[in-house]
Amino acid sequence: MNGYGGHILRVDLTNGMTSKESTPPQVARDFIGGRGFGIYYLLREVPRHADPLGPQNKLIISSGPISGMLIPGGGKCDWTTKSPLTGGYASASMGGHFTAELRYAGLDSIILEGISPKPVYLFIDDDKVELRDAAGLWGKGTFEVEKHFKEKLGEEFQVAVIGPGGENGVSYACINHDFGRQAGRGGVGTVMGNKKVKAIVVHGTKSVPVADVDAYRAAGKAIFKACKEAEGLKEWTRYGTTIVTSWCDEVGALPTRNFSAGSFDKAKGIYGQTMREKIVITDKGCFGCPCPCGKYSHVRKYNTYVEGPEYETIGLMGSNLGIDDIEAVAQANLLADDLGIDTISAGNAIAWAMECYEKGLLTGKDTGGLELKFGNVEATFKLIELIARREGLGALLAEGVKRASQKVGRGSERFAIQVKGMEQSAYATHNATAMLLAYMTCDVGAHHNRSWAITYDLQVGREKVVPEKVARVIWLQNFRPMFDVLGGCRLQWVELGIDRNLYMPALEAITGVKRTWEDLDKVGERIWNLTRMYWVREIEGFGREWDLPSPRFYEEPPTSGATKGQITKFEDVQKLLDMYYEQRGWTSDGLPKPETIDSLGLRAFVG
Amino acid sequence: MPATLRLGASLKQLLGGRDEFSVEVGRSVRDTALSLGINPDLVAMVSANGEMQTKDYIIKEGDAIRLLAVVGGG
Repeated sequence: MNGYGGHILRVDLTNGMTSKESTPPQVARDFIGGRGFGIYYLLREVPRHADPLGPQNKLIISSGPISGMLIPGGGKCDWTTKSPLTGGYASASMGGHFTAELRYAGLDSIILEGISPKPVYLFIDDDKVELRDAAGLWGKGTFEVEKHFKEKLGEEFQVAVIGPGGENGVSYACINHDFGRQAGRGGVGTVMGNKKVKAIVVHGTKSVPVADVDAYRAAGKAIFKACKEAEGLKEWTRYGTTIVTSWCDEVGALPTRNFSAGSFDKAKGIYGQTMREKIVITDKGCFGCPCPCGKYSHVRKYNTYVEGPEYETIGLMGSNLGIDDIEAVAQANLLADDLGIDTISAGNAIAWAMECYEKGLLTGKDTGGLELKFGNVEATFKLIELIARREGLGALLAEGVKRASQKVGRGSERFAIQVKGMEQSAYATHNATAMLLAYMTCDVGAHHNRSWAITYDLQVGREKVVPEKVARVIWLQNFRPMFDVLGGCRLQWVELGIDRNLYMPALEAITGVKRTWEDLDKVGERIWNLTRMYWVREIEGFGREWDLPSPRFYEEPPTSGATKGQITKFEDVQKLLDMYYEQRGWTSDGLPKPETIDSLGLRAFVG
Repeated sequence: MPATLRLGASLKQLLGGRDEFSVEVGRSVRDTALSLGINPDLVAMVSANGEMQTKDYIIKEGDAIRLLAVVGGG
């Protein structure tokens, strides 16, 4: 099958067996790859109400047709599972080089099933597939384990590894790769740890069959050329995602002290410019990337080296904790990566705990003597470790802010910044109604990457609640995640502004199937509805309540910064949902209507 | 020698495809953007002769200014 490795690798961890099956052509046709494969197998194979941390849950790792190809950004793979953080759908995208080796080993997906009785790692070298003992690696940090494999097996092997956070069941444990890339959100690392899989190492030498080699080369070259000629390539490469830090501060989107504001009075210390001047030593890109957004830093204060921090980490472990020292943020980033926990969720959890402490809801007795005030760097470092080890206060925070706040109670639920149990990523949404809606309706919880609509708010009026905004959010939700289906990176389109139509000749040349973006938008819509159906299937009483944001964004206007005194009225929150459900073809409680399910051809997935 | 101002792709789209302007010296980038019909809040980054500047930067003779927007985020 052109454009595909051709096989799905199943790993039965309970019995220590592995097997391969051909990638079903109809699944490739209808779901294409990546997160399309992920939701297909999740809905088909993980039984209703399966325990996320039980043998019935599966971890589905999928590349897409442009993964590992000579197409800019073809370095992405998707990790799908039932989330131990939210109880619903989890899908995390990981960059780097892992997905390319997966494809060269002739694989489109790996499905991890069951639970191993002892720690193992999955070894793949072309057709040689083995589960090997990992007892000696259990408990070790991600960097040490990746280095171990690189030295033992060779640089050509790519490694995806969990840290102590995943081993210890932190609800938002991540999977690390390439010494600084992650499948970060939703607890995909927690599931891998629960299955007792410390790492997956992969190397392949096979070719991916391509329908039209000459057309493929020409299409790939055209995208590279567009990237190289794009206005802004130089600046984007210099600053990467940190280019937005100063902008977010200026427009009131920078999460500050547990999202109580959108501008940080000491933000200059963490701006992208400050970071570039103070700590960045080189740029680092994923497979086949002409505009590397990764920044590799030397943190002199702690004499450490780290990839990052990215904007999300700067927002959540910098301003959101009241920390203005980029070196401290970078060090926190390093600790979280090594211990294998998501910096976005961990940053939220620590910020929530700091606010609890400052309000007297947590005391020194709860914190083990830590003075958990905003801006306390040492306490932050200590808490990251306690979370990963699930010790002391860390055991509570390892549950995520929703469950932690339900345990502490006394109003702390109102400043637990989450949707559907997932902590919000780094855009404050007091007065940015499209972006707020994007968070409310995101298919994994409060994550930004499906629909990043905040500039649309600024274009049309940030407080406006109009159907055009809702339509924009929906279009982005259908379209942007298609990059996660194709196995590619969206940043060339997002940040360099290259024409998305350039990808279509490439996709056709690789797969032999002619598609337009209209076709892909429709696939995106089908996948979006399937993920919603998954939530409905898994959560008793799932509906409108699950789409509500933190009350902070409709009850507590910031007292400083660019959004001082601004807020989204609760009636507007409800109005946004009304319009969204109507445009999606969902009921007033947010459930896909039967006619919507039928019109998208999804009837077979009901139940 | 007048100054030139170039726009990144998304700002260019907002202005109907125009991407290069000859602009007055002695004015701030913020005021210049406004006079071109660009909402300064949409400008994520100002580059003057390759160096990052704020929107309050006063344009000088011969400057090559570039304005970049954030369109899609991380």
